[in-house]
Amino acid sequence: MNKCTVSDIQELLPDLLHGALAGAERVRVEAHVATCESCQEDLDVLRTVKSAAVFAPSIDVDRVVRQIAPYRAIVPAVEAPARTRVASWLVAATVALFVVGGGSVLMTRQNSPGTQVVDGGVKAPQQTASTPPLVPSKLPAATPDSKITETITSPHPHALALAAEADGLSDRGLVQLMNDMDTFDALPGSEPDPVISVDSGDSL
Amino acid sequence: MTPSPEGRPEETDMELIDRWKAGDSRAATRLVGRHSQALARFAASAGERDGIEELVQDTFIRAFASLDSFRGASTLRTWLFTIERRLMLDRRRAERRTRETVPVQEADHVSEYGALDSLIAEEAQERVRKSLDALSPTQREVFTLRVQQGLSYKEIAEVVGSTEGAARVHYHNAIQTVKEFLRDE
Repeated sequence: MNKCTVSDIQELLPDLLHGALAGAERVRVEAHVATCESCQEDLDVLRTVKSAAVFAPSIDVDRVVRQIAPYRAIVPAVEAPARTRVASWLVAATVALFVVGGGSVLMTRQNSPGTQVVDGGVKAPQQTASTPPLVPSKLPAATPDSKITETITSPHPHALALAAEADGLSDRGLVQLMNDMDTFDALPGSEPDPVISVDSGDSL
Repeated sequence: MTPSPEGRPEETDMELIDRWKAGDSRAATRLVGRHSQALARFAASAGERDGIEELVQDTFIRAFASLDSFRGASTLRTWLFTIERRLMLDRRRAERRTRETVPVQEADHVSEYGALDSLIAEEAQERVRKSLDALSPTQREVFTLRVQQGLSYKEIAEVVGSTEGAARVHYHNAIQTVKEFLRDE
């Protein structure tokens, strides 16, 4: 028996056996097998092998199904949203900025020539020649006011310490200064002493 | 969708998988019933003799536990064969570890077959089985998947972790060996 040389037909014989060929291809393979003894022998072998594959045990389907766990969908791990991560970074950056900034301010104040250590580390600012006056030198002209004159004839030294030129202010200038102080932005952290006492001044 | 014997259109594997995921346990019964015997035959043809039912059961347990990873790129049966084949390899490795002093050769499967020869009544079946014993494990897998299961070379390559070309070569060598064996008998 001559060995078949049409390899693609040989490879398709199992498909012919399983009825997996259709149309023109099936006609072509069947026509070849009808005239090729080698392929006929191969097909007989395949039929034998296929029909002999019956020695596998029968499977109890219900028993197998009972062992199968119910379906559980795989839930992907929840990842923190990007917004939360950005916010965390912003908070960290802000904290770092405060730490670095605060440290820089402290170091600047320690090294500043306009400050000096007073009473074990507490520093007080010192007025220098280059420091602009806290109170404008030119104020509106004063007008007579007896009540005010009574209270400010003996000004509190703390209040006057705010400005070197306060001594030269007129009554109206001092009133203007007091009104302006109400609008100062830089308020002290703690309750300050009263600037001007309306009583006799003994408590000062 | 092919018609069922009752005349109703037969659900595809993917439809049954979706139904099972939705909580329909009958879909699992349909799937197991559809593929279990093919898995048993493949196991038997590949040389397994003991515990085939347990092997098939383990295959389905693993498959259903990881059905989310099955995308339908291959047929469900091909995917099941792949799982079953890995389980068989695991079994054989475990058997080798228990027989540390005796190196396992391909002929070991022949001796396993021989131990159960008396259970085979049909002479034709016995002849075929012996002819399959003459094949290497990979040739046997490829040949039985091709002839008994009707898988394409591409599907076989997926199951055995090889290429289509290698699967064709294995099939060609296997049928020559089987043909000569049966001719000489």
